[in-house]
Amino acid sequence: MKTVFLGNFGARPGVWEAILAKTTEKLDTSVLFDLGDSQRLIPALAEAEIVVSHIWKKDFPPAPRVKLLQSVAAGIDLIDVPSLPRGVTVCNVAGHEQAIAEYVILTALAWHHRLIDIATAFRGGVWSTGGGAGGGPTHGEIMGKTIGIVGYGKIGREVARRAVGFGCRVIGANRSPIADKGDASEIYQLTEIDRMLPQCDVVVIAAGLGPETTRLIDARRLGLMKPTAFLINIGRAGIIDEEALYTALKDNKIGGAAIDVWWQYPTAAEPNRHGSRLPFHELPNVILTPHCSSATDGARDRRFSTVAGNLDRYVRGETLNNIVLQT
Amino acid sequence: MKALFLGGVAADTYAGIKDELPAGLESTVIGEPVDRARLPDAAIDADILVSNHWRADYPPAPKFRLVQSVATGTELFELAALPKGCAICNSFGHETAIAEYVVMAMLALHHRFFQIAGEFRERGSWATSWVQSGKPHGEVRGSTLGIVGYGRVGREVARRAAPFGCRILAANRSPRERDPEVERIYPLAELDRMLPECDTVAICTALGPETTGLITAHRLALMKPTAFLINIARGQVIDEDALFAALSGNRLGGAAIDVWWQYPSQDDPNRRGSRHPFHELPNTIVTPHNSGWTAGMVRRRWDEIADNIDRFVRGDSLINLVTTT
Repeated sequence: MKTVFLGNFGARPGVWEAILAKTTEKLDTSVLFDLGDSQRLIPALAEAEIVVSHIWKKDFPPAPRVKLLQSVAAGIDLIDVPSLPRGVTVCNVAGHEQAIAEYVILTALAWHHRLIDIATAFRGGVWSTGGGAGGGPTHGEIMGKTIGIVGYGKIGREVARRAVGFGCRVIGANRSPIADKGDASEIYQLTEIDRMLPQCDVVVIAAGLGPETTRLIDARRLGLMKPTAFLINIGRAGIIDEEALYTALKDNKIGGAAIDVWWQYPTAAEPNRHGSRLPFHELPNVILTPHCSSATDGARDRRFSTVAGNLDRYVRGETLNNIVLQT
Repeated sequence: MKALFLGGVAADTYAGIKDELPAGLESTVIGEPVDRARLPDAAIDADILVSNHWRADYPPAPKFRLVQSVATGTELFELAALPKGCAICNSFGHETAIAEYVVMAMLALHHRFFQIAGEFRERGSWATSWVQSGKPHGEVRGSTLGIVGYGRVGREVARRAAPFGCRILAANRSPRERDPEVERIYPLAELDRMLPECDTVAICTALGPETTGLITAHRLALMKPTAFLINIARGQVIDEDALFAALSGNRLGGAAIDVWWQYPSQDDPNRRGSRHPFHELPNTIVTPHNSGWTAGMVRRRWDEIADNIDRFVRGDSLINLVTTT
């Protein structure tokens, strides 16, 4: 079965080998990291039946035989669906939701406990940034806080399960109606998000990027949040208005933010490019991480197992898991 | 009836609960630093002491019947200097805050949080990101957490850690009923059997004869070389030299240390918490004994202290009785 691992996810060293090691069926595999290498891309796509990639570009050469496009990521926002041939099944992977839920709880705790400020000051020998022995001010707890989750999917549910263990109240907003609320006490329609936001001490953006969520969090909605609210974005940067968030944080219109997903990414020419054209990294009330909330060893292993399992299923003619759409 | 609020924390407590105290209770407040000149008059006829300490060289206090500690630990009360028949009570309310700290520290250590967030802020480095081929970090899910001292704090830690999908073990001096979150509670004497199993060890015990110096070089060596150690109890539970050697020699994965072997004094207000430079270790999170110091803790503790004073004045049974002299 002709299989091609494509692009900077699927064809990355360490990734494709690890996935193949988990497969049991025989695959005729090729690997192409550089999508700009059309000399190799044209023959690879002309023959491939399975493509492992999280990217499908409009200007890709013809791929008449492809039947399975297996992503190694959850989001399919980099797959240009209209330019896929007919009869392709697009599958994604999960397994990242537990890792991201850990990140969400970690940053919510770190913010309320002022962990970075206190630990950094204490490294420098200052006792009084924290209270207790140093006689400084108290910090906060997450017990009793209201956590609002925008996009109540797999990640949202994992966050909710952990948050209720801390005595938090969990509410959410979701595009489609939710039958099983899990550990959340109330789920709003996404169109009613304006009713949810003012209640939240922590707002978690866990939605996918789509027409309904692009720039969902704008200046007006940031203004609906409590002035002490903490915003965590592990969804996609495009869900939040970049300038509006920067202004809200700089002017202390909201308490703070943890940002893991960015409006721009490093390039080969600029490997240390900041994630935004605005200096979020200079704001004291922001926790910044380089799009790594899901990058745990466990999540990797779960994802690779999912991909390998699906490749085997396809070869054996069995029903596929994690089907997102069929063209 | 008279009460003496002695020391800085007690003075803050008085300010927080004065409106809740029983009518007719006469209170004297001697804050920090303790004004020894005022102490004899205040001590001689006080029925209640609210403080975190009482020293043998303090003036006579023959009428003390309730010593209400403003902390959980009562090791700074010199019992021989207190009159016979005096009830010593402590206070809690910190377990929520500390349990949050323990889970936070466990997450931060597994996720390499300080390294990743620090490098991204300071150097704009994406190198740790999976997007940029970075090395994956760890997660708490599927790891084993060992709680040494399964009391109020330990139990709250277990309740919060369980939904993360950790396996939870515990060790306790006296037998404890096992909560469903916990797979097994070892007697403290069998700690050596628990330690090798753990990816995270959280020290949540009180300081006492059985726990002083409990975590020795030998026991640190029983732990996995990747394991994380979190101490929110008392510095003296862990051998200071052995822990520094293990961390600086990478024979442990890392640590989060909130309680110290030494504290600032009036002469040396910026004294470090240890004679070793733990603050220079990249794999160690250091905080200034503040894990319990949340606004919520202070309020809950004040309420407990006010409640106990009220019980004492009314002649009701006391809460949080530690011992009677």
